[in-house]
Amino acid sequence: MARAVDVPAPSLRQRPWVRRAAPLLLVVLLAVLPLVLPESTNETLARIGVFAVAVLGLNVVMGYTGQVSLGQIFFLGLGAYITGYGVQQDWNVVLVFLLACLGAALAGLVVALAAARLGGLAIAMVTIALPIVGVPLAKRLSDYTGGSQGLSARFADAPEATGLYDDQWQLYVVLVIGGIVFLLTRSLVRGKFGRAFAIVKGNEAVAASMGISPYRYKVLAFTIASLIGGVSGFLYMFVIQYTSPETMSFGHSIELVAAMVIGGAGSIVGSLLGGAYYVLVPELTNQVDSSLTALLQGVVLLAVLFVLPGGLASLVRRLGRGRRRLRAEPGPGASPTTPLSTAGSATATEEPGTERRGHA
Amino acid sequence: MNMHSRSRRAVGIALATALALTVSGCGREGDAAGGGGGGSRAEGAASPGITDTTVRLGITTPLSGATAGPGTCTVAGVTAYFGAKNAEGGVQFGDGKKRTVEIEALDDTYDPQQAKANYDQLKDDVFAMTAGLGTPTNRAWRDAAIADEVPQALIMTGDPLFSDPEESPWQLGFVPVYQNEGQAFGELLAASGAPHKVAILSQNDDYGAGYVEGFKSAVEGASNIEIVEELTYEATDTSVDAQLTQLAATGADVMFNAMSLVPLAVSSLQKAQQLNWKPSWFLPSNTSSPGGVLQPGGGAAFPGVYSVAFSKAPAGPAAGDPDVVEYLAALKQYGNYPDPPAFPHCQWSWMVGATLEQAFGEMTEPTRDAFMTALRGISGFEAPLMLPGTSVDATQAGQPAVSSVVVQKFNGKGYDTVEAFE
Repeated sequence: MARAVDVPAPSLRQRPWVRRAAPLLLVVLLAVLPLVLPESTNETLARIGVFAVAVLGLNVVMGYTGQVSLGQIFFLGLGAYITGYGVQQDWNVVLVFLLACLGAALAGLVVALAAARLGGLAIAMVTIALPIVGVPLAKRLSDYTGGSQGLSARFADAPEATGLYDDQWQLYVVLVIGGIVFLLTRSLVRGKFGRAFAIVKGNEAVAASMGISPYRYKVLAFTIASLIGGVSGFLYMFVIQYTSPETMSFGHSIELVAAMVIGGAGSIVGSLLGGAYYVLVPELTNQVDSSLTALLQGVVLLAVLFVLPGGLASLVRRLGRGRRRLRAEPGPGASPTTPLSTAGSATATEEPGTERRGHA
Repeated sequence: MNMHSRSRRAVGIALATALALTVSGCGREGDAAGGGGGGSRAEGAASPGITDTTVRLGITTPLSGATAGPGTCTVAGVTAYFGAKNAEGGVQFGDGKKRTVEIEALDDTYDPQQAKANYDQLKDDVFAMTAGLGTPTNRAWRDAAIADEVPQALIMTGDPLFSDPEESPWQLGFVPVYQNEGQAFGELLAASGAPHKVAILSQNDDYGAGYVEGFKSAVEGASNIEIVEELTYEATDTSVDAQLTQLAATGADVMFNAMSLVPLAVSSLQKAQQLNWKPSWFLPSNTSSPGGVLQPGGGAAFPGVYSVAFSKAPAGPAAGDPDVVEYLAALKQYGNYPDPPAFPHCQWSWMVGATLEQAFGEMTEPTRDAFMTALRGISGFEAPLMLPGTSVDATQAGQPAVSSVVVQKFNGKGYDTVEAFE
């Protein structure tokens, strides 16, 4: 947790005691909630965590670096398959976790080395290919993937010593791993790399003129996104305990992109909200009318985008700003790079990170 | 740096607080939400989802997306069946009580993750899960259902895993496994006595392999059957023209086509005609629809197109059958399905309803345990809409509730049951 408090420290924000108390309160809340919530809520929260991490990865490459990636679900699927295979082979869980991360990152790196040379929409086309190739690949490599019948791996039972229920244990693991990923990503996008990503997103020529290689940073962003995708794949297997080729179907990749846009592109809070959207909206529409889910989800999508073009995170930000305007301070939900998500042209005027970089 | 160390201290305090709360908050024992199942309940006490007057069933199935058609049917049939029963006052249970049956169906869009989510949502409210369509979507929560001891009964998948009582104590598949279908046709062919050369084209996954396995086991040792060529295709392929050209060159007189994709099945039939290769043709039950496959594919050009079935088709020769009339009326009135069903899953789901009623009638205690015992005791039950020669038999280990199918031959409009090949 120290990291979370340290990183934004140099920027002048709120009164110190508020800034320390808020994360503290959050940690206490997260530690206690799994114990008191009913089982089904814990399970839903764990699933939200899984997809929030996946959306976060997508945000790194798409929201922060501006490279359209339609293949994020492939890395989730890859992570899930590596996890499933490892668990079936009785490998150590920590090793499995590392393999899931590294395997996905490596795949992402290889793809990115080729794809990042291409400009604009061509990258999107390459990333489309990932889930399209992934599904038949998963079916064909049936010795490792279980073919179209998929892979089951039940390894998330709570250790006896903890005295926890399985759902509580799962939620804790998701909270810890997801929390670490979120904090690391938060420092990443707020630091030197985040500023570089933002410039690459804003204008590649400007980036190059400043000595920031757009190619290298695109590859970096893509690799990190894949790595995070691998983490979400591990968590997927931990929570869902099953994967099949359908897991990485192209439609889900698009749903992830939609979740990212709805949550808020280029926003940490937005990733969380995107994960919540991805999980909760199908449940909600199921409650309304299970035979009209696709239609209702479309309506929700359009409604959110019409009312909040900046995603749900912009609502959080707006509320936060409204409250804090009294204290004349900027919002907390907004990372330094977020204003870029709405308009590239605003780079110079709105974006403090870029400015600093520019004057450096 | 001062700030740094202070934040460290803050974290320390947070952790200590959290720990204290953890210790004091560990009080969920005995809470209904804990564990999810009814495993530790007292003997004979009612399981979740069942009262003295109602029983609640859960379904997770694709209601939107590419498989929405069959998926909607899996809900409509059983809903219509129990809708009609509820209108008559409910279903008589083995413990002497009459209960109405409520059904809660959720859409999983054929997404395993969503299916698991739906299961998690339903498991504490429903007595049993049933009728859901799909292999990956049912597999996704199979382990969880076993751990929670929630019945996953009479589901619509041909995956044999669900019919193995050792591996799947709380599961039972309803529809025949792929092997059953291939085997039925193989037996008919072997029994014909005449020499046949068989060409096989199958989907390169468990589906295709299951059909071929069943077929081969039936023709094994039959001296009159020779398999001259065996090819596969991928489920993602958009054309099988190359395979058909190769198979046509063998001059086989029987084509065993284990194909689950309607467009490919249509184009296979067309391509074979272009090549002027007209063997007798076998198609699996889910790609043999007269209107969807055989008419566009020109099935009448072949000496015989065979498939297997266990349910009466409402459009076929059984149109005037009292079973069918009652079924169609209920489907319209209670199943929210006004059109004549385009998928056999509607009929299968109706039979699931009848089979569940049969099990309910045998269960002496309102528990999930008693339900599974009663279900596994059903044999020789001819559910409404079943074709003569088929029945529900849940007593055979390793077989789904319906493992008997009859071979049928296309007659230009629908299918007739045949006793012998040609």
